[in-house]
Amino acid sequence: MRYKPFEASDIGCLRPTRVIKSDVFRLAGLFALLFLALTGILVCTVLWIVEGAQRAAITSANDADISTILNGFRDEGLREAIEVIRQRLGSPSVRYVMRPDCYIVIQDERQQKLAGNLAALPVRLGVVTISRPDGSDRHLGSTPIVGRGIEITKGIYLFVGRDTKVLEATRERILQAFMWVVLGAFTIALAVGLYLGSRLMQRVDAIAQTCKSIAAGRLDERIPVLGRQDEWDRLAEAINEMLHRISALLENLRQVSSDVAHDLRTPLARMRNRLEEARAKSTNVSDYSAAVGTAIDDTDQLLTMFAALLRISQVEAGARLETFSTVSLSDVLENIYQMYLPVAEDCQHLITSAIEEDIYVRGDAELLTQMFSNLVENAIRHTPEHTRIHIALRRENGSIEASIADDGPGVDPGEREKVLRRFYRASSSRSMEGNGLGLALVVAITELHHAKLTLSDANPGLQVKSAFPNNWDE
Amino acid sequence: MKLLLIEDDLELAKSLVERFREQGYVTDHVSDGTTGLREGLRGDYSAIIVDRMLPGMDGLELVRALRHERSTPVIYLTTMGGIDDRVQGLEAGGDDYLVKPFAFAELLARIRVMTRRTAQVSPKLSAGFIEMDLVQRTVVREGRPIVLTPQEFRLLEYMLRNADRLVTRKMLLESVWDIHFDPHTSIVESHLSRLRTKLNSGFEVDAIQTVRSVGYRLLASN
Repeated sequence: MRYKPFEASDIGCLRPTRVIKSDVFRLAGLFALLFLALTGILVCTVLWIVEGAQRAAITSANDADISTILNGFRDEGLREAIEVIRQRLGSPSVRYVMRPDCYIVIQDERQQKLAGNLAALPVRLGVVTISRPDGSDRHLGSTPIVGRGIEITKGIYLFVGRDTKVLEATRERILQAFMWVVLGAFTIALAVGLYLGSRLMQRVDAIAQTCKSIAAGRLDERIPVLGRQDEWDRLAEAINEMLHRISALLENLRQVSSDVAHDLRTPLARMRNRLEEARAKSTNVSDYSAAVGTAIDDTDQLLTMFAALLRISQVEAGARLETFSTVSLSDVLENIYQMYLPVAEDCQHLITSAIEEDIYVRGDAELLTQMFSNLVENAIRHTPEHTRIHIALRRENGSIEASIADDGPGVDPGEREKVLRRFYRASSSRSMEGNGLGLALVVAITELHHAKLTLSDANPGLQVKSAFPNNWDE
Repeated sequence: MKLLLIEDDLELAKSLVERFREQGYVTDHVSDGTTGLREGLRGDYSAIIVDRMLPGMDGLELVRALRHERSTPVIYLTTMGGIDDRVQGLEAGGDDYLVKPFAFAELLARIRVMTRRTAQVSPKLSAGFIEMDLVQRTVVREGRPIVLTPQEFRLLEYMLRNADRLVTRKMLLESVWDIHFDPHTSIVESHLSRLRTKLNSGFEVDAIQTVRSVGYRLLASN
């Protein structure tokens, strides 16, 4: 999908067109249509049932009239039947004032009308619908007539019917009611859609507004959480958490870039000086080769610094979390101990260990090895000869404690926090080789493992303790 | 021995080809992945040196494709020194991994180790008068047993497997201690000096030759 940048005018105002385009509004519209369809089906069913009942009523009224006429015919013959019909339809004088509720025609075999208020009809038996009774009484309406035709005796045809005006009126009334319901429902759906749409839009706009202001550089902006514990609050919280992480990473990046810019200048300047000096003073190949040698050493040092920075930022980015597995911290530390035993000896240091067996943590063995290796190397490099270094690992109050301690000069309490920072070098170690990144990497690795790092006084000396969460022994 | 270099940095490639030539290697150079794969599949090379990021086809993809048909040893050259990049590279079928910038001696040593004849599966290793029993975990020099720590044993094992070849400090750190960073102390030197003392005590000839500022070589011919 192509990214469409939104404009400033899109935010903060609730123009109806925006609401109409909103998802909730569309949903409300969809529901209104569904409602319409269902109501349509309902109305058709009602119409069908009502009309059926009314038709049944008409038919039974017709049948009652027919049986009255037939009774007359059976008792007294055709003349009586005609008389009954005339009485049923009312006297001519009354006829013009009060219209009869039924239509009757009786005719002979030549289709000559004998009596009734309809013109003679073509002979049709059973239930018959006459659409437009031409030539009939002028007071008759134009609605079709439903009636029954019978042959009362040879050649004498009788039709009794009633008009369907009532059917049409009912249909009209039902349809009208339906119209009102639909109109009302649509209005309500529209109103609810607009209301919900605008509410939704407000929350979305709040998020969009925050995103926009973050895009404009105000990185500490956060989406307001209304405390309703609803899905919007949850979304806002999730986004805020993400923003927090992003801004921490960005801050980190900014810090690193400025540190790098600053700390690279010194070695680069030194290297440049040396090369310039070599160009000015060197007279033979061995001078030049010595200068090139130191220049290579200088670049190696810079490259080491870059590698360390890269590693720190990779660890901080947390990409390694995916490859976490169960690591035997006991093995890691035992390995470190074995690895540094001869190194310490060569540097006139004494290294001892008290490592509990079978202690496991969730983590990355390679990083943990590097972390403890950095700590042991610091202890070896920054302490005088004959310093004792002690590597310990034990379970302690539900956590796992690994510590590297020495009885060297230690670190001033005021400097303990600072030595953990990138590029910071304690005053006592400035003269030594190093880039001030070793402990920063240790910090990054402990944080990745949710461990807590503390520097304390070992009386005398420095103790670096890392407490790992114990997820195994409960 | 013929090498294939797949590298798009022409300056680096030129210098590598030249230095390989000085060492007696014939090197074919191609600068994109697609051609590289075609050449790798067609030619009979002793080893392939491939850059991780290449035009045409990425180094990982190339090695994966190559591995369907060939088992030529592959070493990656890469600026991607990331922690996971190495694992990815090896999982794709590469044999070794070298982060740029690197010393030429390092690359050369690794290629020589990579192209050695397939390691013997015998439980015993030997070079000169030194014999190692991998099952019994014992080492004997001219009949005299030598007691080693586990780490010294692993160090000697690696050197025996690559006897007469130069092994660099970095190679030892990676294969013996599984350390993929640059330690600030002399881990390799300290262990090696102890190993050397133990191996040489009572003997005239130093079994391990030091190649200054590059690495070590275990001599099989004494």
